[in-house]
Amino acid sequence: MGTLEDRSTRDSIFPTTGNSAAMAATATGITKRYGEGNTEVLALDHIDVGFIASKLTAIMGPSGSGKSTLLHCVAGLDELTEGEVRIGQTSISELSDQALTLLRRERLGFIFQSFNLVPTLTAEENILLPLLLGGEKPDREWEQRVISSLGLDDRLHHHPDELSGGQQQRVAVARALVSKPEIIFADEPTGNLDSSAGAEVLGFLRRAVDDFDQTVVMVTHDPAAASYADTVIFLRDGRLVDTLENPTTELVLDRIRALEG
Amino acid sequence: MRAMVLLSLRNIRKNKIRFGLTTFAVLLGVSFVVASFVLSDGLRSSLNTMIGTGFENVDVQVRAESDLDEIAFTDRQIDESVADILVDIDGVAAVDPNTDSMSVTPLNGNGEPLGSMMSPVVAVSWDGSEIGALRLVDGRVPGPGEFVLDQATAERENMVIGQTYDVVGSRGPEPFELVGINRFGEEGTLGDFGMASFQLAELQRLDESEGLVRYIDVAGEPGVDAEVLASRIDAALPSGVEAVAQEALVSELEDELGGVISIFGNVLLAFALVAVFVSTFIIGNTFNILLGQRVRQLSLLRALGASSRQIRFGALFEALVIGLVASIVGLAGGVGLALGLRWIMDLMGLSLPTIDIIINARTIILALVVGIGVTLVASLSPARRAASISPMAGMRAGFRFGSGEGTKRTIIAIVLAVIGAAGIAYGLFGGSDNTALLFSVLGLGAVCAFVAVSMFSPLFSSPSASFLGLPLEHLPGNKITGHMARKNAAKNNKRTASTAAGLMIGLALIAMASVVATSLKSSFRAEMESTVVSDYFVTASNQGSFSSRVGEQVAALPEVESVSSVRYGNARIGGEQHGVTAAEIELLDELLDVGLVSGDPTASPDATDLLLQSDVAEELGVAVGDTVPVDFAAGGTVTMTVSGIYENSFLVGDYMIDLSAWESYFTDQNDATLSIKLADGVTLEEAGEALQPLAAAFPQLEFETNAEFQERVEGQLDTLLIIINVFLGLAIVIALLGITNTMALSVLERTREIGLMRAIGMTRRQTRSLVRLEAGVVSVFGALLGVAVGIIFGWFAVLAIPGEMIDRLTIPYLSLAIYVVIAAVAGLVAASFPARRASRLNILDSINEM
Repeated sequence: MGTLEDRSTRDSIFPTTGNSAAMAATATGITKRYGEGNTEVLALDHIDVGFIASKLTAIMGPSGSGKSTLLHCVAGLDELTEGEVRIGQTSISELSDQALTLLRRERLGFIFQSFNLVPTLTAEENILLPLLLGGEKPDREWEQRVISSLGLDDRLHHHPDELSGGQQQRVAVARALVSKPEIIFADEPTGNLDSSAGAEVLGFLRRAVDDFDQTVVMVTHDPAAASYADTVIFLRDGRLVDTLENPTTELVLDRIRALEG
Repeated sequence: MRAMVLLSLRNIRKNKIRFGLTTFAVLLGVSFVVASFVLSDGLRSSLNTMIGTGFENVDVQVRAESDLDEIAFTDRQIDESVADILVDIDGVAAVDPNTDSMSVTPLNGNGEPLGSMMSPVVAVSWDGSEIGALRLVDGRVPGPGEFVLDQATAERENMVIGQTYDVVGSRGPEPFELVGINRFGEEGTLGDFGMASFQLAELQRLDESEGLVRYIDVAGEPGVDAEVLASRIDAALPSGVEAVAQEALVSELEDELGGVISIFGNVLLAFALVAVFVSTFIIGNTFNILLGQRVRQLSLLRALGASSRQIRFGALFEALVIGLVASIVGLAGGVGLALGLRWIMDLMGLSLPTIDIIINARTIILALVVGIGVTLVASLSPARRAASISPMAGMRAGFRFGSGEGTKRTIIAIVLAVIGAAGIAYGLFGGSDNTALLFSVLGLGAVCAFVAVSMFSPLFSSPSASFLGLPLEHLPGNKITGHMARKNAAKNNKRTASTAAGLMIGLALIAMASVVATSLKSSFRAEMESTVVSDYFVTASNQGSFSSRVGEQVAALPEVESVSSVRYGNARIGGEQHGVTAAEIELLDELLDVGLVSGDPTASPDATDLLLQSDVAEELGVAVGDTVPVDFAAGGTVTMTVSGIYENSFLVGDYMIDLSAWESYFTDQNDATLSIKLADGVTLEEAGEALQPLAAAFPQLEFETNAEFQERVEGQLDTLLIIINVFLGLAIVIALLGITNTMALSVLERTREIGLMRAIGMTRRQTRSLVRLEAGVVSVFGALLGVAVGIIFGWFAVLAIPGEMIDRLTIPYLSLAIYVVIAAVAGLVAASFPARRASRLNILDSINEM
């Protein structure tokens, strides 16, 4: 758990060390266990990791490596068995459901693989949903900038079923951006898209980092997608096994082969 | 088919809560049906036991002969001396002449009259004879200045032997000593009827019927056949008096009371059928959604080689299981409900004996038929639709289950609407004498009309829900949840329509009852204002009659200008038995404005004058001056002359005679109502003060101003309306279960959507209000539609009810609005369970659900 001791040793064990840049989120000794006795599964095994602000971090690993679980735990969607997660300075493990919900609404953004949008709402309503849920007035200028940069101007009044898969994901990206969150969590955001639509969405995420200083954490199994990241971290069997800075598709593939081999 | 059975059972097990709620809806309907049969069977049996007890030792009863079918306690008195003839007849062992009176009332220790309208206390004569069913429990048989009370009444009123209490007879209160306690047969009481027993001569003196008795009970010698004895006695009797053997007496009373019980049972059954009907909608709706959610599974089955017949069989088998479970549990529930209703009726002091709980084979069979039948019928169309799913349907994205053929549906709806309208029209205006047929046709018409409305309602449910949800867009701090709830309710027009259908039916019936009752009240009020000329009314609080001496004393007051006695009896006119009102025709103008059309009846009324309501006169084909033969129970056939024809039958009915005619042709000379016209310049307050001593002397009488009288009648109508609404409430409860069910199912359908919204920041509270608000919109839609249909039904009913009761349509907007608000709130509450579930869904599981 978040003891003083953990904190004092934190910097030395972070795989992204050497970099004194601010952390948008940190995880310390986080463990996630499912089931009990014979059916026990250790999805995350004492992981320490930090996500640097204003960077795009990709989480990779084979199926069952715990990459999605890591994302969910850091994002406050799943409960930890052990360890501590901080979003900025806020430790989230002890937060009530209400506080956690508000944290997600106000400080985090989400993009899921599919079914990202509420079918009954228009694209614009979907984009503004986190703000509307908080009863906040959207920043119109910022909203317009996000929408224009994603090329959604003429799609705002369409319902999700009238949009292509790529368009739907772009709406999800816009939704994640519009509340200016501290971190955007993207869970296989291109998993259901063809390669050109996928590249488009990844390009937007990259630009969000470069142009808007946005922090993005993305789970993917696609080396090409991972190549858009600043840092790639590799998981296997619930453990953090490797880190790659400034990745290219080839470098990522090499690491994967090395890990599997 | 075995595979399908297995699959069906698995489905039920997997969806326990959903099937449970559906079963509960059917179960409630079945319970109500069972309860109505159990209660009426039990009531019949209890009454028959009581009748048997009452006549156990009575071999023959001698009483006034009458060709009118009258129930007990009406105008039947014979000369006491007839008893002397009987004593000498061969085979007669004992003779017990008796009378009873509704106009003699004992007061309890606080000076309050015993008994009420619901549980009257009847004064009877009793000399300790054991021919009747009364048996002494304590003390002694009453002598002069003494009386005996039945055990239950004495205990309830806390009256004890040895104490002196006032008994109000024709002349006012007199002190009587309570000298004994008795009971009726083994039961102890005659239902909620209390009995105060007096010596025969004392009771005759108290109600001034000296020399007259109502019946003479005869016990035969052992071995003498009752029938033989009866005919032997009959031969010796003077004309106008008859002897009836035990068996005939018993069956006569059983038939009469049986008729009342049948009405009671049928009324309960009608409410029960409403509940069953509403639950049919819920079952159909639930099955539709459930099968819709299983499209993937069903099409997989089809792909694997299941025939569409097998799919249909599977769906129907599920229905069968639910129907069976609901019937069996409903049977038990019905007995419980019967016990509950019995308890409530006891609480309300309805005059019923302790009802046995009787479960006939017929009741069990009906429970099964209703439970299984209703479930199967409701699942027919969902099952047919499920069977029509193609093997590939579920694999296609965006497949919508049961979109149905629009035109076919519309045609069926139109046909049903026409049949419904025709049925209702025939039921209300058909004018057949067969009331059972009329009610059945009416009910069937209403069912068709409701189904038609529910089939039409998807056409406008979306825009309606969208419109009704408009206020939700402006909920402070909750705009987006309100907005989404509105959109959700508007999105699925069919589901919104069929979920609302149950509420629609319940609310329609409540609204109809309320429209009719309000119209009745406003008609009554208008009649009171426009036709009643007199200022004060006197009536007996136990609905009995009272001595004409009261009227004489009222008339003697200087504040009073005139008093008219009003008496209600029966006579046979034009071959049929009708209610006849007697009043002092000479004073008619000071009582009521009857709207005289022709004749001058007040000029010199006599005992052969007959006044007719104009429609009746037209039907009889008579005009002023014509003669009409009238049969009176005691007076025989009299040729009466039509002296006047009037329009307005309010308070006086369709047939009126002069008081002098009553005095000649009826034996009972008590008054039912006094109508008092005050002298000029006398205020109601002054009159009230002047009448006060009389009111104190006759505490069983109500002295009321027009306004008070009107208020009391309206109060009774309100009570009736409340009772009707309570019974219809069960249908509402079932409808609400349907809302719970649909919302639970739609939460399930939208699991991923809810998970997503929770992930991006929807709080639990917002999730709950999202579900609740949607249910609220659906409920308001159902309630408003119901109220609209109810107003139309109520309007038809008002048209069909005779003008002397209702002559105007009054719509109680405020009550109707309150009903809608209640329905909306109830809808919100009904959705709390699914709302809670939605808010507690695990976010990740929901998002990842396939």
